Amino acid sequence: MVPDRHKVLIANRGEIAMRVMRACRELDLDFVAVCTEADRESGHIRLARELAGDGAVYRIVSYLDANELFAVADAAGATAVHPGYGFFAEDFRFARRVVRRDRPMEFIGPSWWVIRDLGDKINTKRIARSLGVPTVPGSDRPVYSELEAEEIAANLFDFQAAQGIVDGVVMVKASAGGGGMGIEEVGSFEAFRSVFRRIRNYAKRNFGDEGVLIEQRIFDFNHLEVQVVAERGGKAQVHFGTRNCSIQSTGKQKRLEVAPGFAPDVIPYTFDASGVLDAITRHSLAMAKEAGYDNVGTWEWIVTPRGEPFLMEVNTRIQVENGVSAVISRVHDRPVDIVSEQIRLALGGRLGYSQDDIRFEGVGIEYRIVAENTDNRFTPCTGTITRFAWRPHDWLTVHTQVPQDRAYEIPMEYDPNLALALVWGRDLAEVRERGLRFLDELVLEGESGGRSEAFYSNVKYLRDQTGGILEF
Amino acid sequence: MDLERRLRDLKDRMTYIRDIFGTREDDSIRLLEARLGEALEREARTPGSVSAEELARLDDLFSFSERKLDTMLTPMDRVRIVRHPQRICLKDILENVYDNYTEIGGRGEFNIDPSMCIARAYFSRRVGEKVVRQMIMVIGHEKGHGEAYRNGGSAKPWGNAKALHYMKVAETENIPVHTFIFTPGAYPVEDWPGAAQQIARNLYEMAALRVPVISVCSEGGSGGAEAIGLADRRIMLSHGYYSVISPEGAAAIEGGLRGGERATPELIARCATRLRITADDNLQNGYVDRVLREPPLGARPHHYEFFRELRRELIQATNEAVSEVKSMKLFRAMAVRASRTDEAESIFMRWNLSPSALNRLVELRQRKYRAMSRHARLDGTGLFSRAAAGARGTVDAVHSYLRYDLLGRQKKRLDAMFEELGAEAHLVRHKLLMPLKRSMDKVLVSGPEGRRGVDPHEELTRLSCPEDGACLSGSQWAWISPRSQEDRTVSCPNVRTHHCPDLWVPDLLGDFAGVCPNCGHHFPMEYRWYLENVFNYRESREFNRDLESINPLNYEQFDLKLDKAKEATGLKSACLTFETTIESVEAVVAVLCAPFRGGSVGAAEGEKFIRAAERAGRKRQPFIAYVHGTAGIRIQEGVNGVIQMPRCTIAVRRYIDAGGLYLVLYDTNSYAGPVASFLGCSPYQFAVRSSNIGFAGPGVIAETTGLPVPPNYHRADHALSRGHIHGIWDRREAKKNLHQALLTMGGRNLYYR
Repeated sequence: MVPDRHKVLIANRGEIAMRVMRACRELDLDFVAVCTEADRESGHIRLARELAGDGAVYRIVSYLDANELFAVADAAGATAVHPGYGFFAEDFRFARRVVRRDRPMEFIGPSWWVIRDLGDKINTKRIARSLGVPTVPGSDRPVYSELEAEEIAANLFDFQAAQGIVDGVVMVKASAGGGGMGIEEVGSFEAFRSVFRRIRNYAKRNFGDEGVLIEQRIFDFNHLEVQVVAERGGKAQVHFGTRNCSIQSTGKQKRLEVAPGFAPDVIPYTFDASGVLDAITRHSLAMAKEAGYDNVGTWEWIVTPRGEPFLMEVNTRIQVENGVSAVISRVHDRPVDIVSEQIRLALGGRLGYSQDDIRFEGVGIEYRIVAENTDNRFTPCTGTITRFAWRPHDWLTVHTQVPQDRAYEIPMEYDPNLALALVWGRDLAEVRERGLRFLDELVLEGESGGRSEAFYSNVKYLRDQTGGILEF
Repeated sequence: MDLERRLRDLKDRMTYIRDIFGTREDDSIRLLEARLGEALEREARTPGSVSAEELARLDDLFSFSERKLDTMLTPMDRVRIVRHPQRICLKDILENVYDNYTEIGGRGEFNIDPSMCIARAYFSRRVGEKVVRQMIMVIGHEKGHGEAYRNGGSAKPWGNAKALHYMKVAETENIPVHTFIFTPGAYPVEDWPGAAQQIARNLYEMAALRVPVISVCSEGGSGGAEAIGLADRRIMLSHGYYSVISPEGAAAIEGGLRGGERATPELIARCATRLRITADDNLQNGYVDRVLREPPLGARPHHYEFFRELRRELIQATNEAVSEVKSMKLFRAMAVRASRTDEAESIFMRWNLSPSALNRLVELRQRKYRAMSRHARLDGTGLFSRAAAGARGTVDAVHSYLRYDLLGRQKKRLDAMFEELGAEAHLVRHKLLMPLKRSMDKVLVSGPEGRRGVDPHEELTRLSCPEDGACLSGSQWAWISPRSQEDRTVSCPNVRTHHCPDLWVPDLLGDFAGVCPNCGHHFPMEYRWYLENVFNYRESREFNRDLESINPLNYEQFDLKLDKAKEATGLKSACLTFETTIESVEAVVAVLCAPFRGGSVGAAEGEKFIRAAERAGRKRQPFIAYVHGTAGIRIQEGVNGVIQMPRCTIAVRRYIDAGGLYLVLYDTNSYAGPVASFLGCSPYQFAVRSSNIGFAGPGVIAETTGLPVPPNYHRADHALSRGHIHGIWDRREAKKNLHQALLTMGGRNLYYR
């Protein structure tokens, strides 16, 4: 049964929830928002009240309790669920539950089997290899036998020598592990066997499965992404360009993203940059086609200093940095919003354009403004934002859940992301200049909570990084 | 003085009759009471007024009435007789039957287990001019006329361990073992060595104990009786009982009683009758070889004539057992066969046997048990298919013999030789060719470069081909529970301690195989899940499917229950046997499934199990018993069920002795008989985390021992820490672990890989 008018449950918070709400308004859909105790004052709740009235906001205890979310969905009569990013976005069991309940709903995201197949890194690697897509050298399945492991390791060290890497490193990790447990690096083939045995025993003891993965460790790489958009049924896939997300905090959190991925004509690279961008978009689309990809997703690549791209993983969800791809993309010469495209396509809409209709114009930067101490290993900073303002420009969009008219206490329960700022320029020089101008004009003042330390934000760090964007 | 004593004796006899018959009214009892009462009254009024003749008449009347009452005994009366403190006990037998004895480890209370008594005894016999002493190891329960520390003859696990130890001693000394069963059942505590495990160990050892074993059964309560009861000759005292469960226990189960409730005496009596527990019933079913007649209303210590008979009977039975296998016997064997028991003493035969005779003895014992309980099952297999199965079995046996015993050994030798030769050749080649190769490399530097046409990266990607595993994987499980279709959530019971999130049922029973992914709690799962996901049931070959459970004792209303179980499960018995391949390892699997009458074992289940073990032996394949719960022996089949304990254990023993790998995997609740015999005797027992394993359920333990039972007493972890099982497996990894176990534990002669 297809309802006449969908009602979307937005199972997320903050900036992405606000963008989904606006997209819903634009597509003329109803929506329901959820709110925990800590988020009462958050901008997304205010926006929801503003756009859909008080009745559209439901109190919950946790964004991570699926039962609670479904109870809200039933109470509100929602017919679709948008998971945002994080929380349930890449949980294929959640996606499956959405469509398999006694009262099924639409899941705004890829189909659950796509999430399952591409959510598993090992499986992704296998699909990639079956299509001839380059992946990080190493095993694509758990290795159990020592003979096989040594063969792989020997090949990896040979490969690194051939690449001109002086002291190559091979990663040995437990395939059932996670969160950094059971990972070791080996610098030489002589040391490999003992490390392999150690990891295998560790894995057997701790995870019950003695499978071990062996991969090359790649230093000094650039992190590129391809934004893929596809319609339900997995028939048509297009990409909205590449972006470069190499500027990351110590915890591998992206802080500054630039689209497109390289600027071949402006910056002298040691390799054929436009060839790399072309290859990764081609490979990504081929894989999306093979896997029957049917919504919005991102292919993450690493590019070595010698210009070799390796597929790292696939993010089967909308990403934080989708805006930076949208800001440089034009469909039929009109601007595009990837969030509303996602909702439209997930609810059964046709794509309506092909790759040839998409044009890329200019350069975009996305700044993530975060309350953190960049000098002290990016430690998050808690406290209250007393003042947050910027000067509006037509080349600037700011997404934030922080209210501008009153003090806002940064909730301790969630990550301290405050705002996303999208800056657009005709070329690299202009966007750099505009980015710096935005950061100069930005006013961000706050008080630290708890101890008497100063209030930190990463604005200065972003300003320092702006000069070097897109350089390898 | 004498008169007074005789009067007191009569009074005692009256009390005994009252004890046996309870409040039951009967003309003869009333008459006896009246006459005795009158005599006593008269005597009390004027001492000496009762004359000797009168007393003799009264004595005759008592004897007559006792004989008459003896014919009217109900099964429950017999139970009361054997439990009466005046019943003969092992000490009386040692005193009166054997000529001399030394009790081993016995000084009343100060004994490792006062309820299990061991003694070395001898019969002295006159052979011509000489007096010969024939040594015997006597092992038996001691009730001690109701001494409290004897625990009513209910042996503790360590008592059974002591019994086993002295059986082995007898084996070393090559002297016969006489066992005496006076037990209402084993004491159900799980302390080391564990009630169930020790009984299983005893059965396993007795299945091939290399000395003649004669057992005498007076009170045979289930597992406790089996612990020392597996014998070449089984003699039963006519007033004894031999049963799968005490009548009280059967009544409690029948009445569905819980906690402290007591069954009514009527129900208990009815159950005693239904279970066919008397000596004559057991003789009829073929579970005992002889019944020894007792004096009216049961043997008591003053029945000296009875002890003489018991002595003759024991000598005769031992002679029989020995003469069957002895090589130098000639006329004596004939004489033994021809003689009646009263002449037994006149035939002398040495009771220690040669090794070959002992082999024959064990073989005969095993065959004797194999032939039992045929009437208690229904083989629905057609005549033709039975013949075909028989023929196939023979072919299998011949094939295995040729392939593994005859050719296999040769091939192994050849393989080893070729391997050695190859290694030698390699070394020589290496030594000769390496200098040549080195010089070649020096001359032709570009040689290896030229061969290196393959891009190294290409080579890396070819390391594992993507075709060998499906890229787009489906569900991990071949079969998921039909319950997984419900749209509801359940909470993990460990939510308080582990903060597990609530689980959506389709996820839990589908992907997670019924295991909480957070804390590993195992929710119950159907046996089908294991059949399909562990044992590859869909591609297996099931056999003996038509062997059917029946109601051999015509137990009331049991036919109906049995039909219901058959209909509900689509099975004909609780045991499912099939040949299968587990990750390319061929194996024979026997499954006990709980939905069919709680997975209880009766004659049909036992037979299927035995046939599966035999088939595994014939085909030289590993034998796996998967227990999806068993409630014990099926009580409605009475002794037909309990005899499966030694029968199946013997089958398993034969299989293991032939070199087989016997592996047990427990799931859910496994209790009582099967655990205490053919399952518990396996050297490799594993349990899925969800299982409870033990001898008796918590209710029974609390009832019999009066000790409080902790709630996790039977959990798999505790069974592991007590040493009962040898590993705990996660349900999700059952198949992997099983395969690994099969690869790592090979039997002696089994080439199953």
